Amino acid sequence: MIKEQITDKEAICLLIVFIMGTTLILGSGGEAKNDAWISLIVSIFMFMPMLLIFSRISSLYQGKDLFDILIVIFGKVVGRIISIIYIWYAFHLGALVLRNFGEFINTLAIPETPMFVPLLCMGFVSIIAVRLGIEVIGRTTTYFLPIIFFILAVVLILSLSDIHFSYLKPILGKGLTPVLKGGFSIFSFPFAETVLFIGVFSALKTKKSPIKVYLWGMCISACVIILVTIRNISILGNMLGSFYFPSYQAVGQISIGDFIQRIEVSVSMVFVFGVLIKSSICLLVACKGIGKIFNLYDYRSIVIQTGLLMVYFSYFIYDNIMEMKFWAFKVYPYYAFPMQVILPGIIWVLAEIKVRKDAKSS
Amino acid sequence: MLILVIISYSLLAFFEFRFLYKQKRWNDFWTNTVLSIFSLTVAILLCLNVKIPSPAKPIQNLITSIFGK
Repeated sequence: MIKEQITDKEAICLLIVFIMGTTLILGSGGEAKNDAWISLIVSIFMFMPMLLIFSRISSLYQGKDLFDILIVIFGKVVGRIISIIYIWYAFHLGALVLRNFGEFINTLAIPETPMFVPLLCMGFVSIIAVRLGIEVIGRTTTYFLPIIFFILAVVLILSLSDIHFSYLKPILGKGLTPVLKGGFSIFSFPFAETVLFIGVFSALKTKKSPIKVYLWGMCISACVIILVTIRNISILGNMLGSFYFPSYQAVGQISIGDFIQRIEVSVSMVFVFGVLIKSSICLLVACKGIGKIFNLYDYRSIVIQTGLLMVYFSYFIYDNIMEMKFWAFKVYPYYAFPMQVILPGIIWVLAEIKVRKDAKSS
Repeated sequence: MLILVIISYSLLAFFEFRFLYKQKRWNDFWTNTVLSIFSLTVAILLCLNVKIPSPAKPIQNLITSIFGK
């Protein structure tokens, strides 16, 4: 079997799309209202140490993915138990992402079609993408990313006439607490989910690059998210919290000269592409983990069944959209905290000790 | 709907499993079998409109009981 490889550029593009993916759909920092952009900056500083830890873990063990590292560090039994936690996390995250997309399509685009249809279609595309492998996903992302940036930039320029910067104004009007709460929610919702990339970066071509990839990916995507959030706040103002999909509504306000109107469809293309890449990465990591646990020859043989299970799971996970929004912003940060912060911390400390010991003994 | 699900699963099994069986990759074969039985069960339950308990509620209850709303 030929080892798959992705270049740094492709990895950066993957990371950017992964972080932007569902954040653009659901909006970010709901608690902070019009200070959401400040809580984004706060969350970048919160994420910085985790970024160093993630990239350190993947650069300590070159060419090994998350599940190899777990088995090397914790031994066969405990390593497999922790692997199961991460497989569940990847699987659950993929289902949540698919569900976000399904709700988005079902609420705004095609309300009378059952939600299962968009979920299944998106699931099929993800399954095909994962069967083709990480190289293909990486190359597709590299080709599509300029189009996405072009759409976002054009929409930003067109919306300039609707922007009222006075909506930003009582800066820190309600004190620092909501800003910090929103920062924590943003930290766990798009940024720290990149822990799954430890499972992908074993395919990186060059040796020293994980930290570079992480830094660039995070910087660019954070800039894009901050710009989009500021645009949303300054178009929608106080109404921001009352929409399920603020970006879509904000772009819907644009109307220039009575003929450039209703251009939100162009933005939903960005959403669809983001969801595709994010769910593919989650499915890929889950399948790789299952493959490592059961000593499979190739993870590709189980992709179809795992992907179908993910689609079914995303179909029955929530009853309605209110539950989804509550879960994504109030419950998810605490639920994901062990997988995003505590376990990587433990893995990092043990990995440092183990590498030192091995260097001494040899 | 039920018939559609069963036909598509049997087609899938025919094309996937024959390949794995011929190559004699038993690990892959058995993992795949277990996963597909599981997903077939879920698919049939969804077809029959059975309400499957979702893990979202228990996790939500656990977390709201620890951290408050």
